[in-house]
Amino acid sequence: MIGDGFAAVLAAAQSGSEEAFSQLWRDGNPPLLRYLRVIAPEVAEDIAADTWVHVVRGLATFRGDEQAWRAWLFTTARRRSIDEGRRRSRRPTAPLDDIAAGQLPTAPDAAEIALERLGTRSAMALVAGLPTIQAEVILLRVVAGLDTETVAQLTGRSPGAVRVAVHRGLRRLAQLLAEAGVTL
Amino acid sequence: MPNFPWQGRPDVSAISDASLSALLAGTEFPTGSPPELRPVAEALAALTAAPTGDELAGEAEALAAFRERLGVPSPTRRPRRRPTLLSPLLSARAAAAAAVAALGIGGFATAAFAGALPAPVQQFAHHTIGAPAARSADARMHDSPSPAGPDATGHPAYGLCTAWAHAKAHGTAKQKAVAFRNLATAAGGADNVATFCAAVPHPGASSSHTSHPTGPPTSHPTGPPSSHPTGKPSSHPTPHPTGKPSTHPTPHPTGKP
Repeated sequence: MIGDGFAAVLAAAQSGSEEAFSQLWRDGNPPLLRYLRVIAPEVAEDIAADTWVHVVRGLATFRGDEQAWRAWLFTTARRRSIDEGRRRSRRPTAPLDDIAAGQLPTAPDAAEIALERLGTRSAMALVAGLPTIQAEVILLRVVAGLDTETVAQLTGRSPGAVRVAVHRGLRRLAQLLAEAGVTL
Repeated sequence: MPNFPWQGRPDVSAISDASLSALLAGTEFPTGSPPELRPVAEALAALTAAPTGDELAGEAEALAAFRERLGVPSPTRRPRRRPTLLSPLLSARAAAAAAVAALGIGGFATAAFAGALPAPVQQFAHHTIGAPAARSADARMHDSPSPAGPDATGHPAYGLCTAWAHAKAHGTAKQKAVAFRNLATAAGGADNVATFCAAVPHPGASSSHTSHPTGPPTSHPTGPPSSHPTGKPSSHPTPHPTGKPSTHPTPHPTGKP
């Protein structure tokens, strides 16, 4: 997150400053990739690049604060990952949420993760082991930094359903980590 | 007895929603949280850790897309695109610059006020320094064989004075030109030109810039120059918001070289 300076950085990027756009990109791309590497692991880099091309196209007319900016970024990425999933899938109507966690290629056995101190990749792999909706809402809340209401809009669920999914996911993480013997 | 996977698992159902919400609310591990949540807090912190190199690898590609997009017309960025809208003028400007380079500024002004430049360049000079407008071939054919020159009492006086000053500094031969005769007449004699010119305002400083000379020698054979190159163009040859940006020869206003 950029914080207080966000409006100025956005305005500069909108008026053509590469430096300002670079700042937006460097702030937004790492969380975007962390999100995509869990929900669309095989095409994460492609979708991230696609997302930025789309965002650049609409940048001049975008209006909103940093929360809205993040929401736009992740909404774009999510739509693209769903489109990509449909395009690649032989079951064209299978929504992302219905894909079982076990189908995710990066989902490891919690016990296999070396957890002396969790690295980002290990933590992502751990989250990827959750049921997809839980993984997604946790990533959107924690990594994308979106509030519950925004995540609800983005995922087409009620705020209550998002809260429940987040809590279930976190409890499950606590369980997986306890089983893996992580003591800190 | 089968070894069920849930056997021996820690009970996480006791973790309250409130403590889970508190975990998401801040970066610090909330005091009073159940100890089972400490590893979770660690995991969430790892999810938001500083970016790794591979997460910043696509910047050049994104910047290329951004750069490409800069040249595309869109309603909100109209003022920044003015240079591209003026490309026809820019070519005239380039021609004028070439003429200036060839003649020197004084020579250029002299040629401009004698109406002796190629038509596009003459037209440019007309709009920028108040030289006579370019004359069409038809107008030239019907012109009197003896040139009348610009009206030194009106709009072109400033440019004439500039040319006169230059000619004076580089010899007197050119001062016999008809344009300078007019200047001398307007000044009330060749000796008074310097005094006369000192009183001529810069075209940009006075409202007389918009008024064109009306006398017969300087009437505009090609019609009134109603369109002014420094104004906002009302129609663009290719106002295409969805057009391909790479085809626009846009000078990059703020980019790094």
